[in-house]
Amino acid sequence: MRTVTQPMRPSEPALVDLDERELVEACLGGQAAAFDVIVERHRRAVYLLCYRFVSNHEDASDLSQDVFLRAYRGLRSFRGQSSLATWLYRIGVNVCLNRVSAKKPHSESIADRQFVDARAESASDRLLKDERGTRVRAAIAQLPRKQRVTLVLRMYHEMSHQEIADVLGSSVGAVKANFFHALGNLKKMLGDEAL
Amino acid sequence: MHLQPDELVDLAEGTRAEASAPHLAECAVCRLQLAELRAMMSAAADGDVPEPSPLFWDHFSARVRQAVSAEDAPRRSFWTWPRVVIPVAAVATAVLAVGLTLNTGRADPSVPTVGPAPLAPVASVDLLSDPRSAGDTALTLVAELSSDMDVDTAHEAGLAARGSAEHAITHMNGAELRELQRLLQEELAHSGA
Repeated sequence: MRTVTQPMRPSEPALVDLDERELVEACLGGQAAAFDVIVERHRRAVYLLCYRFVSNHEDASDLSQDVFLRAYRGLRSFRGQSSLATWLYRIGVNVCLNRVSAKKPHSESIADRQFVDARAESASDRLLKDERGTRVRAAIAQLPRKQRVTLVLRMYHEMSHQEIADVLGSSVGAVKANFFHALGNLKKMLGDEAL
Repeated sequence: MHLQPDELVDLAEGTRAEASAPHLAECAVCRLQLAELRAMMSAAADGDVPEPSPLFWDHFSARVRQAVSAEDAPRRSFWTWPRVVIPVAAVATAVLAVGLTLNTGRADPSVPTVGPAPLAPVASVDLLSDPRSAGDTALTLVAELSSDMDVDTAHEAGLAARGSAEHAITHMNGAELRELQRLLQEELAHSGA
């Protein structure tokens, strides 16, 4: 699927050329526009992560905003030991897990799925894919928390096992074991039709 | 011995060659597990999330910007409130200090001192009776403001330094304080304050 990103208004031409560390420094130095650039670079990934936990646009949007707000508050604590993306994922996972444990995710509505870019697909293919996607997401939502986080970050955010271990504060071995068990549980839930 | 989960994951993801796991060739269970793992990874890839409208992103960035700017406000107010409170507190403390000095400075020397500890000599000057202060409206105002001040207030303000007259006052019992208050009011009445 093609990534849809809108270019943000260039608040300051120099800011968009800065690397992560420099952006954080600029932000801490009082340049609010630097945080806009951080949001622009990571908003899609954060939103998709949140969507996988709550399965609806409204909540995913609210959670994503919360992730960036928390990131802004804690920007001073970002030491650059991991990438900004990994740091944001860590915040995102915590925010999502807190929300998911406090609120049962509601199922997707048709309106939630209306923005799928399916120009290259036929109507029946699209319908079939939509159904499969909905079933898979529903099954993922049933997984134990760590298995779900591991599967989501590995499958859909293409994070390495080491990066996931950094996000979860666990070992690479534990991440691989979680991934293995997540796929096994997914198979049990989806049955043979998924294979 | 069967392959471990992490080994199967590495094989399924292709980060490890099957040739490096000779056990696979002789174990149908592990081969099946590996096949199922690959199939589930392929099936899970269908769980793609629907993309939001392209218009959403600008709206989202604006929302975050608004939330972040609102976040700044309490911080600023947190750092600015002492700028107001501290001067007010300083003025109040000064009023308390001068007021206590004036009141204790007017105590009749003929009145015997009371209290558990010997009082330190009163070093303060009776400013209101000092001819150089005659007509000083600021001093008069301070005297008026502090005339109703009780000892507890002075104590809470931390004004009673050890060894001072104020310190002795704060260590009086209730009866002693009432007597001192009576004497001070009497003295103030005499002076026409």
